[in-house]
Amino acid sequence: MPAYYLEIIVVLLGLAVLTFDAVGRVEDKRSLAGLGVLGLIVVFFLLFKTSKPADPGSVFWKFYATDALAFFFKGIAILTTIVVLLMANDFIPVLQRFGPPVEAKAHPQSGFAEFVALPLFLCAGLMWMASANHLVSIFVSLELVTVTFYVLVAYLRRHELSLEAGVKYLILGALSTGLLVYGLAWLYGATGALDLSGIEGALATTENPLPALFALAFILAAMAFKVGALPTAFWIPDVYQGAPTPVTALLAVGSKSAGFIVLMRLMTPFLKSELLSGKVVAVLAIMAVATLLYGNFAALLQSNVKRLLGYSSISHAGFLVLALASAPSHGGALETPATTVAFYLASYAITALLAFLVLSIVSAARHGDDLNSFRGLAKASPFLALLMLLSMASMAGVPLTIGFWGKFFVFQQAVFSRLWLPLGVAVIGAAAGFYYYFRLIFSMYLETATGADGNPLGKDTLTKIGAGSRIAMILLALAIIGFGFFPGSILALLR
Amino acid sequence: MDPNAIAWTILVLPLAAAVIIFLLLKRWPMASAVLSTLSAFATLGMSIVLAHALGNSATILTQSYPWIALPGVLRLEIGLLVDAKSAGMMLIVTGVGALVHLFSLGYMRGDAGLARFFAGLSLFMFSMTGIVLADNFAMMFIFWELVGVSSYLLIGHWFEKDSAADAAKKAFLTNRIGDFGFMIGILLAWVVTKSIVFTEMKTAVDAGGLNQVLLGAAVLLIFCGAVGKSAQFPLHVWLPDAMEGPTPVSALIHAATMVAAGVFMLARVAFLVEGVDHANIAATVIAYIGGFTALLAALMATQQNDIKRILAYSTLSQLGYMVMAQGLYGSTEGLFHLYTHAWFKALLFLGAGAVIFACHHEQDIWKMGGLRKKLPITFATFALGTAALIAVPGTSGFWSKEEILVKAYGTDKLLYAVGIGVAALTAFYMTRLFIVAFLGKSRSENAEHAHEVGPVMWVPLAVLAFMAVFSGYGFITGGFPAFHPGHTHEGSHEAGFLTTILSLVALAGGVFAGWKLYSGREREPISLRLLANRFYFDELYSLIIRTVQDLPARLVEYLDLYVVHGLLAYFPSQLARGAGWTFTRLQSGHLQGYGFLFGAGLLALLWYLLS
Repeated sequence: MPAYYLEIIVVLLGLAVLTFDAVGRVEDKRSLAGLGVLGLIVVFFLLFKTSKPADPGSVFWKFYATDALAFFFKGIAILTTIVVLLMANDFIPVLQRFGPPVEAKAHPQSGFAEFVALPLFLCAGLMWMASANHLVSIFVSLELVTVTFYVLVAYLRRHELSLEAGVKYLILGALSTGLLVYGLAWLYGATGALDLSGIEGALATTENPLPALFALAFILAAMAFKVGALPTAFWIPDVYQGAPTPVTALLAVGSKSAGFIVLMRLMTPFLKSELLSGKVVAVLAIMAVATLLYGNFAALLQSNVKRLLGYSSISHAGFLVLALASAPSHGGALETPATTVAFYLASYAITALLAFLVLSIVSAARHGDDLNSFRGLAKASPFLALLMLLSMASMAGVPLTIGFWGKFFVFQQAVFSRLWLPLGVAVIGAAAGFYYYFRLIFSMYLETATGADGNPLGKDTLTKIGAGSRIAMILLALAIIGFGFFPGSILALLR
Repeated sequence: MDPNAIAWTILVLPLAAAVIIFLLLKRWPMASAVLSTLSAFATLGMSIVLAHALGNSATILTQSYPWIALPGVLRLEIGLLVDAKSAGMMLIVTGVGALVHLFSLGYMRGDAGLARFFAGLSLFMFSMTGIVLADNFAMMFIFWELVGVSSYLLIGHWFEKDSAADAAKKAFLTNRIGDFGFMIGILLAWVVTKSIVFTEMKTAVDAGGLNQVLLGAAVLLIFCGAVGKSAQFPLHVWLPDAMEGPTPVSALIHAATMVAAGVFMLARVAFLVEGVDHANIAATVIAYIGGFTALLAALMATQQNDIKRILAYSTLSQLGYMVMAQGLYGSTEGLFHLYTHAWFKALLFLGAGAVIFACHHEQDIWKMGGLRKKLPITFATFALGTAALIAVPGTSGFWSKEEILVKAYGTDKLLYAVGIGVAALTAFYMTRLFIVAFLGKSRSENAEHAHEVGPVMWVPLAVLAFMAVFSGYGFITGGFPAFHPGHTHEGSHEAGFLTTILSLVALAGGVFAGWKLYSGREREPISLRLLANRFYFDELYSLIIRTVQDLPARLVEYLDLYVVHGLLAYFPSQLARGAGWTFTRLQSGHLQGYGFLFGAGLLALLWYLLS
């Protein structure tokens, strides 16, 4: 079965959800999310059944890559969407309070079907991004994802912060789209090719680097917006905080990982060109340093956990850009360190999804997502506190968690490439990370929460966790530890 | 089932039991206990199958799995090595382990932390199996530390008692000192032999041409690990205190298996110890530390009053024998004694547990007495265990002690003399214990009202008593050659003859002196403060800690407060906070501001890339 069938199946799945909602009389709409989850699980297993193209030379395959990286990132996109749909199930009470207004006679959960279908469409977009290797398919798949996000971020229509986040994301996103298409046009002009292998060939022999570098500036600015790196990462804290938590998770994990594979594919021709690679590495290293400093230091002062995860997402983007900058050299031209980036993204996806799952349960139960909501969590729900502890340990990079190996490989790569200054900044950033990640642990285990009436918050509000979320959280926690022991099993997928 | 799968199952099964208990069964203590006991018996069954599968072949190298593979930097594997040594050791670990689990069902009944206790036991079984079956040093070290953790948890089982919590801490910290040396030793051996896989290391040592000085140093550092885990002088102080743990734990961990891990490890790397070519200082040091510990501990045992502590010092002393044998190139002899000792010492500890249980947790032997009639089964089995420990001819302890003494006779006459002396002391203090606790009249209420324990407790005693007597005979040991020197006395017949005569004299002398001194006594007739106070080692160590550790610690505290915290930490942290504050100012929340920054970022990129 050709790989692009998967995207088609996912889109059909989204349409099926909408149809069932419209035609069938679904009493409890959580079953719609269940349908989506089951469908995606099937798609995930179909991923291993896809065949290589019989005729790789034909025009279609110039638009669509089927390498190991593409499959790896498709897998991440599917798993992320599964977790996000499970999260959405627990999010229904918040949607009922702040979501689209419900008429008196309508179903109390109306509006939920779209909240399930849109992530499915978005998932198809992310999977397409993973395979895009042509300027046109890159742009179109990116826009499919971005436009869907415009809707999802502002989904809580009766909630000020969500609306504000939606407007900010829309305007800045449109700005970045404009820059991207302008940069891509320049790149076409400079090389005369639209598919990446053609661009690679043209850049390898180019005499005049200026048009390509001009295009690169625009592309970098736009892609930095997508992956959350400086100089265009300022939208992240506000939008992350305002968006509904499942959407934030999708933004942080799905958008970032798919953005990175596109960035990586776009950078490959530049890194492989002997004339340009020096400058490209230097600018990536500068971006990494700036992103690491900004993300880690600004996170030190945060008291809102969602915002904190936003800054943390910026800081992780810094490590990833650093990995991208530490491209291994093969006689002059450089290679992209695809394995390191892919491993880091997988580790970040697992860790961050767990954090967002816990966050969405806690914030829904305690009506808030600042640090106070997490105070004394260890007493109220030892299970959730333990999971959050694991996630934070992995975020910080404690040995024998998967996060440790992510950072380890990045550092190793940077050492091989002799990027000493960025490496030093990365180490300082990682150290700062320990402060803000462990402050959350400190709050959970060593402080007591006080409610609005000044009394300690009780246990009662935290007992309802959906079975799906519970299983997902346990699996993610096991993955953090399991892959912390056996990082090789992820690397094996990339070969 | 193929041996490979069996070996991995033996390793994983106890872990699974521990995890299931910890995660799911905490609220059902009896279910936890039964699950843990079943897993122990299942591993025993599989160990027997594994030993049979091994048969006469030298090794079954089971599949090893790559764990960390960084090309050119580091490569670690997880693999199991099943050979005569490890298969035999597994029989001891799972055999004693299963019986101790069974005994615990009775001994720990009604304990508030029953589920936690059995989870700890299963965790221990997992860790110990890992040490025994590991095919490389890195894996062994990890399980070595896991054993330390589970020992910590079990010693501190009754953590609400300060003495138990302190003892657990002491055991852990003392072991860490040894383990630090062990770790450096492993790394050094890695450097010297270019490998940490035992079979590859052996090939490297056999090939020769290694740096002798470094190899000797590595052996001594690795020995540090055994000094800690097997409680040899000078790190022996933790073991007597570890008796704060529940008695089944003392039997399993602090007598039969964990403390033997040091000896087993030395036997595992015997090729390293013997691989140092000439003037083997390392082996000599090992032998003398072992001999010295044997003597020291036997002396201390003569003046203790707590029944478990007497047995603890006796364990120290017997471990000294085994370590001494390792240093005298007698790894088989050492392992043989490890094997017989495991059975009879587990028996003695469980017997002591039954006594303590029957006497409502009275541990002072001077408050017992006359238990012979009250606890007939315990009395009989304890008598057999004592006979094996003091090496009465015909019992298993006799054969194994003979082997070590004969080995010493051929190598080092001074250590031979020490060995004979320790044998006499052993006979003396065990006679004392036996007479005071079991014979004569009851000397307290608790002893007066003692009743025989139930079958769940005396059945393990009976099985162990059988092993205590017969485990040295060929029909049992024939199955696994690594533990069976085969009674081929090296050297001359004269050595064997002389040794038998001398050890009989030592036995008779010790028993006679003990009987003469203690028969019919109501309280301690002699008082040797030095021995009763264990040569003041604990006082000496706390003095050393006060002067060597506390003074620098105070200095470091000031450095930490004023230099590190005041200067080195304060300014950077304020700097970081300042940077964070500045960055968050950029985060104004105004869309126009973000648009401006967006444009500025683009311009910066353009400027840098095009300049």
